[in-house]
Order: sequence, then C-alpha cells, then structure tokens
Amino acid sequence: MKSTEAGTGRSLSAGSRLQMAYRVFKGAFFFGRKGLVIWDSWEMWVMQIFITPIAQMGFFAFLSVYLRYPLSETQFIVIGNALQAMSFSAVFAVANITSQDKWQGTLPSTMVTPANRVALFIGRAWFQVLLSALIAAAGLLYAATIFGVSFANADYLGIAAVVMLTAIAMTTFGLLISAVGLYMRTALIVANVFLFVTLLLSGVNFPVSVLPGWLQPVSWAIPLTYGTEAVREAIAGTSLLGLLPLLGWEALDALLVMVAGYAVFAGFESLARRTGRFEEY
Amino acid sequence: MQTLEVKPADGGPAKWAVSVTGLTREYVTRNFFGGASKKTWALSGVDFQVAPGELFGLIGPNGAGKTTTIKILTTLLTPTGGEAKVFGLDVKKDLYEIRRRIGIVFGGERGLYNRVSAVDNLRYFSDLYGVDPSVARKRIPELLEVVGLADRAGEKVEKYSRGMKQRLHIAKALVHDPELIFLDEPTIGLDPAGARDIRNMVTELKRQGKTILLTTHYMFEAEELCQRIAVISKGKIVALDTPSELKNLVRDVSVIELRTYGATNEYVEALKTLPEVGRVTADLDSEVQDIRIQTPLGADLLSKVVAALPPGAKMIDRTIKEPTLEDAYLRLVEE
Amino acid sequence: MVTMDEVTPGKMTEGYLAKRVQVLKASAFLTSKLFFADPQWLIPNIIAPFIFTLVAFFLFQGQTSGPDFLLYLVLGSGLMGMWGTTIYASANSIGFDRWNGTMESTLAAPMPLSWIALGRVLFNTLQGVLTAVFILVIGLAWFRTGFAIVNPPAFLLASVATFLSLSFFGLLMTTVLLLSRKGGFITNSMEIPVYIATGTMFPVILLPIVYLPFSFLLAPTWGIDAIRLAALPGYVGLPTTYWEDIAIMVVETVAYMALAFFLFRRVEAYAKRIGTLEEY
Ligand SMILES: Nc1ncnc2c1ncn2[C@@H]1O[C@H](COP(=O)(O)OP(=O)(O)OP(=O)(O)O)[C@@H](O)[C@H]1O
Ligand SMILES: [Mg+2]
Repeated sequence: MKSTEAGTGRSLSAGSRLQMAYRVFKGAFFFGRKGLVIWDSWEMWVMQIFITPIAQMGFFAFLSVYLRYPLSETQFIVIGNALQAMSFSAVFAVANITSQDKWQGTLPSTMVTPANRVALFIGRAWFQVLLSALIAAAGLLYAATIFGVSFANADYLGIAAVVMLTAIAMTTFGLLISAVGLYMRTALIVANVFLFVTLLLSGVNFPVSVLPGWLQPVSWAIPLTYGTEAVREAIAGTSLLGLLPLLGWEALDALLVMVAGYAVFAGFESLARRTGRFEEY
Repeated sequence: MQTLEVKPADGGPAKWAVSVTGLTREYVTRNFFGGASKKTWALSGVDFQVAPGELFGLIGPNGAGKTTTIKILTTLLTPTGGEAKVFGLDVKKDLYEIRRRIGIVFGGERGLYNRVSAVDNLRYFSDLYGVDPSVARKRIPELLEVVGLADRAGEKVEKYSRGMKQRLHIAKALVHDPELIFLDEPTIGLDPAGARDIRNMVTELKRQGKTILLTTHYMFEAEELCQRIAVISKGKIVALDTPSELKNLVRDVSVIELRTYGATNEYVEALKTLPEVGRVTADLDSEVQDIRIQTPLGADLLSKVVAALPPGAKMIDRTIKEPTLEDAYLRLVEE
Repeated sequence: MVTMDEVTPGKMTEGYLAKRVQVLKASAFLTSKLFFADPQWLIPNIIAPFIFTLVAFFLFQGQTSGPDFLLYLVLGSGLMGMWGTTIYASANSIGFDRWNGTMESTLAAPMPLSWIALGRVLFNTLQGVLTAVFILVIGLAWFRTGFAIVNPPAFLLASVATFLSLSFFGLLMTTVLLLSRKGGFITNSMEIPVYIATGTMFPVILLPIVYLPFSFLLAPTWGIDAIRLAALPGYVGLPTTYWEDIAIMVVETVAYMALAFFLFRRVEAYAKRIGTLEEY
C-alpha cells in the first residue's frame, strides 16, 4: 500500500504527506552532508573560514586606509565584510550542490522522485546554514582581533541572533539562486555574480543611502542588507529587543525569498517536463 | 573462419603489432586523507601477441582487466610490471611515436566536445595528432562520408544520437590514419542496426590491412569479427585461440536430440555404450520418445545412433546443437 | 558513398615548432568555439569585475577627485578583471576536459599536455584583455573621464607583457588545479589575495612586510606598476623604474613558464600512474 502511494501519486492524506516530506528531508539531510564531504577537505575549511574572510576584509580595509578614511569608516567596512563573508558558503556552496547534480546527470533522477521539493532542498541546505553562521562568527572574531574593532559595548545575544538569522536568510537566498540557475548551464555563474552584488548593494562597504535611489529597493530585497545594519548596531550596544524590528523585516524578507524560490523551481520543473530537457539548461 | 598463421620464431618481437609479456597492473585507491586505502590487481601476468593485420578480440567479464590492458597499450597507463610493446616500441618510453601510429575508440558517450560540431571535433583532434592541415582538409569530410555523418557534419554533437556519436568516435580515431586501432566496447548501447554499422566499419578497416584490437561483451560479435580471441578473467588470460578452437573446448556440450517412434529401454542402454557418449536422457512413457545424447562428436555420431535403432522403430526428428562461443566463454570464466 | 580506400592517406606535419604551433592554434580555436557556444561565462568575466569597480568607485568617491584617480581606479579594475579571468580560465582550461569526459582523448594525443593547455590559457587570457578593455571603456564613459595616457607605446608594451605574464601564470595554475581536486575552491580563495598582492587597487607598500615577498614574486605586480607608470602623470608606485619593472616581470614569467612545463610533465606522469584524471 505504501509503495503504491508514492508510485501512483494518488492523493494522499495531509498526515502521510507530512510523513513523506519528513522522510525526504531526512534523506536529503544526509545527502547535504555527504555532498559536502565529497568536495570538502581540510584545505577547503581553511579557505572558507580563514583565507577568504580575512582576505576580503583586508582588501577593503587597506583600500579605505589608502583613501584616508577615518578609523570609524574602516571599522564600518570591516564589520560589513565580516558578515558578508558568509555569502560564499550560503549562496555559492548551496548553488554548487544543485549544479553538481546537473553535471553528474543526477538531476533527472532527482526530479522523477515524488519527493517533496521543499523538504528536499531544505534538507540539503541545513549544513550550509551552520557553516555560514560559523564563518560570520569567525569574521567578527577577526574584526576584533586582527582589525581592532572594539566589542566593548557589544550585545552578544543580539550579535548571535543576527548572525543566525542572516545565515538562514542568506541560505534561503542561495536556494532561490540555485533555482534560477536551473534555467542556465550552471548556477555557479549566477551565484558568483551575486557575491559581488552583495558587496555593492548590501551596506557592506558603505551605507545603502549612498546608492542611487532606484537601486535602494533592490538592496532591501537582499536579507544581508538588514543583517549588516543590525550587526553594527549590536556591536555598538543595541540590545536584542532594540534589534527586533530590523530582524523582523529580515525574517519577512527571507520568507518572501523562500516563496519566490519555490515558484521558480516549480516553474523550471514544468518547463523541463514540457521540453523534455533536464540537462541542457 | 580462416586460421591466422602466426610464426613467433621467425619474426621476433619487433614483427608483432602488439606484444605483451607478464603484464601486471595494480590500482591503489586513495582515501579521503590521501593515504593508500585499497589495492586491486587489475592485471596479474598477461601474455599475448597480435600480428600485423590481425583482428584480435579481448573478451571477459566486467572488471576482468580489458580496459586496463587497452589503456596500457595506448600509453595512457603505466604498467606495474612486465612488458608491453606496440610495433616493438616500449609503451613506457616511446609514447609519442606509439600514439601517432594508433587510434583509440572508447565506447560510450564520453570523449567528444558536445557543444561544437563533428567537423570541429575532427579538426581539433587531427591538429593534436599533427596531421598536415592541407591533408586534413580533405580527409575529414571523406571520413565523415565513410562513417555516414556527412550530411549532419555541421551540427553540434550534443544533438547526435548515440549511434552517430559512436560513428564519430570511429572517425576521430582515424583522423591521423593509424596502423593499429583499439576499440573498447565500440558497440555498447547501440541498437542492432547501429551495432552492425560499426561492425561493418571494423571489417572494412581489417580488409584495408589495419591491425585491430577490440573488446566486446557480445559473443556473436567477437565470433563474427575476430580471428583470434583472448578470454581474460580476473586479470589473467584463461584461453587464447581462434573462435572455432575455443568452441572445441566445450565440444562435450554438443547435444543430439532425437524424437523416435518405438524406441525401447534397451536402445537407450545401447546408446550409452557408444564411444564418447556422455549423459543420455530419455522419456519413454509416451507414444513418441524424446532422447537427448550429450557427445563431443556431434553429427559424426548420428549414423551409429540410427544404426542401433531396434527393428520396427523409426526416427521422426533429430536436431544437433553445436556448442557456441558463449558456452565456451561461460565455462572458461566460471572455472 | 566513399569507401575507406578512397580516403586521402594521412600525412603528418613536420618540424618540432610547426607541430606545436599547430596544437596551440587548434586548442585556442576550440576554446573560442566552446566559449561562444556558451557565452554565459561573460557574466563572471565582465559583470563581476565591473561590480567590483562600482564598489571601489563609491569608496573613492568623496575621498578623492580628479581624472587621474578615476583612471587609476579604472585601470585597477581592468587589471582585476584580467586577473579574475585568468584564474577562472586556468581552472577551466584542462579542468573542462575533466568534466566533459575528454581528458582521456586529450592525454592520448602525441603532444605534451602543456601545449594543449597553453592554447586554452592563451585564448582565455585574451578574453581577460577584452574584459579589461571593456571595463575601461564602460568605466571611462560612466565616470565621464578622459583617457589621456602619458606614454602610449610604453603603456602598450607593458600591457602586452602583463598579458603574457598572466598567461603563463594561468598555465602554472592549471597544473596545480589538475593535481588538486579542489579547483573551484582554490580559484575562489586565490582571487582576492592576488588582487591585494599585486596592487590592483592600492599600492602594495601599504601591506604588512610579510606580504611583500609574495607580492614581489607575482610578475603582474611589476606589470601593473609599469602600466600605471606609463599611463598616469605623477604616479608614485614601487621604487623601481618602468624598465626595471619590465625586466623583473620578464624574468619571473620565464620562471613560471619553466615551472609550468616541468609540472605538466609531472601531471602527465601522475595521470598515467593512477590511471585517470577523469575522476577524482
Ligand atoms: N582508476 C582506477 N582506480 C582503481 N581501480 C580501478 C581503476 N580502473 C579500473 N580499476 C579496477 O581494475 C579492475 C579492472 O578494470 P577494467 O576497467 O580494466 O575492467 P574491464 O575488463 O574493462 O571491465 P568492463 O567490462 O566492465 O569494462 C577492476 O577491478 C576495476 O575496479
Ligand atoms: Mg572496460
């Protein structure tokens, strides 16, 4: 009986739907970890947690020193980049999992399963959330130790909340991008460009208000923009309670991104089925 | 099928197109941390020779070491031990000289640039092999014509069917006009017509005087094409002979099936006493009797079987089942 | 219908150099075909560096003024674009064959892998030059600044030398990436450190002293200094002169070349020993 349920796609009760989604999630959960093991090694950890964040923070810090910015501005930049450093893991690596699926030709076999898509993709991304949070935390640690940002007034609970929420929200964004990437030969390109876009738009190196007015709404569509503002406030001493409005907006934004990602993915699936081409995009 | 005359005594190794002695190869699979974790002997002492102009087959189960042998002979893999020579040249030393004189066809879809056309693929590979460009300009369209891709030559390869890709693989292996061609499962995954096209091309190449070393999992294909076949199993050659001699190894599986009227138990007992008869089984309970006689003699035994029939009994029907290459193969690799 | 007998017999190109030039051309040509068959690679090559330029522009804005600074910025971005392309392209030069399934056919050719890879890298670096030019043009138009170069011939020479130097650096990277299975991650984590080390956006003199040897070992550091010396009036960069920059760059590039060719032989031997470079 159970096998025919999955096989025929007959309408299922809400309970068994949930149960199946859970099973898929569990499978994908382990896949998410395994996918990482395949292309991970200690070198890669060193790169993600040490080299890339420090290099990026250093690049913009040096640039601001060269341009004779006041110390406060340099620190603004350092904190922004510390949080932004998570984008690589949240966006790029998540997109990488999907694109590997495409290269290895396993996409059609994933698509033919009756698995609940949301469960499948969330299951795959969980590890990235943790890793992203870890990278941002490491970035903040470098800000304090290497780049001399003062954490004297910092509200650590607030910082933790911002980092965690931003990690979740940005991974969601990564899923949206990998869904968009399904339409193309590789999601990695989109993901890669996006990394640069956040540097420009998300209040990482300068406040959003510096940007032309028409670009600012785009900024606020990216969850990181709320994150960079909130984390600076938390470091300056704003309590978790005071951060709530900003975090609320960020959560709402993440939710919208998730819905958009789902729609894009569903659209791709039906397009691929209509044209019969899973591999070509 | 003709038997090939190979005379190792008067030639010496340089006369062989391919000569392999005591060839071994070990694979070491590394684990996550870079340490050696698992060792497999893919080849453990392989010997064989291929004469110029010969069409030589290599058959054996999955993982037997066929591809490994071909990779070593095509200089893509270094042997762990033993010696492998192509045109008398050492595969470890004279790489480029060997590579210029051989062509390789790997089965399956890999090995082509799918996003560009067939012509682009052939032009690229002919340049890599150093074919004179003015010659290549003529050869490439001619080769595409030979493999029947001329009218789709400008299309991207990703649009090709599996059979077309395989034919393109053959053209690719021929761009530099090699003397010796290796084909590793060239008909894998092709429909019967596509596979026949490939076989015809192989026969044609043989007729042209090319030396060919081929692997396949299809017994009839090996039997139809190859002059000599080596059966390889678990990294060792377990038999090497012409297809008919290989079949001789399992002559005892040839079976005479009789349908008679009026045969008795005594007749069946008499059959068992005939020379070189193995098992005899009979069903004597009905009006017509079915009798099976296992014998290496096959048709030669038939007259004696008929002569032994008791008076009044009649032969209604008879079939002789000759052993196939598959019977020989299965016995060899299962031993 | 043509039969096998009617096919023109094969004839090989003669001459050591002729054969290699033929491979170089074929490889570069195929790479360009593959590129145009899938021009999505334009996105990281052009858009990404351009966005980087914009980020830098917003940072430069307000702190500095005058056309020289804009030219400094735009030149730096162009060089970053070239660098980025080189790093990515070397990852994709032979790495492409690895996931395309053509590694074996490529290795089977009677020609050293290094020459095949060099063809790929040359095309890709050329693409990097186009990226740089593109960024330059867009940057100049966007910021409405002129492009008055102090010494055009010197500028051209320094640019070509930097182009070649990047190509051989790319070739060297290719070997590293062939031997490592973490190509994507190496390229991604190299990008910014290399932008810093070669002084694309700010002088390397600002860097901590421990960073400098690394900086000085990267030939493009000297190339970028030479380009700026030739382009910008009153530019103060490294304590070397234009010609000293060029000389050091040439020496280092020759060293890259030698090392790359040496490593390629190791790569090929390694591939034959383990049996494959296809899977890893
Ligand atoms: N690159 C490799 N690393 C480790 N082991 C390998 C490698 N290639 C082959 N092997 C092992 O060597 C043995 C022989 O493999 P080979 O590919 O030569 O077999 P084959 O006869 O071609 O099989 P098939 O009929 O399946 O193509 C197998 O046990 C295989 O698992
Ligand atoms: Mg095989």
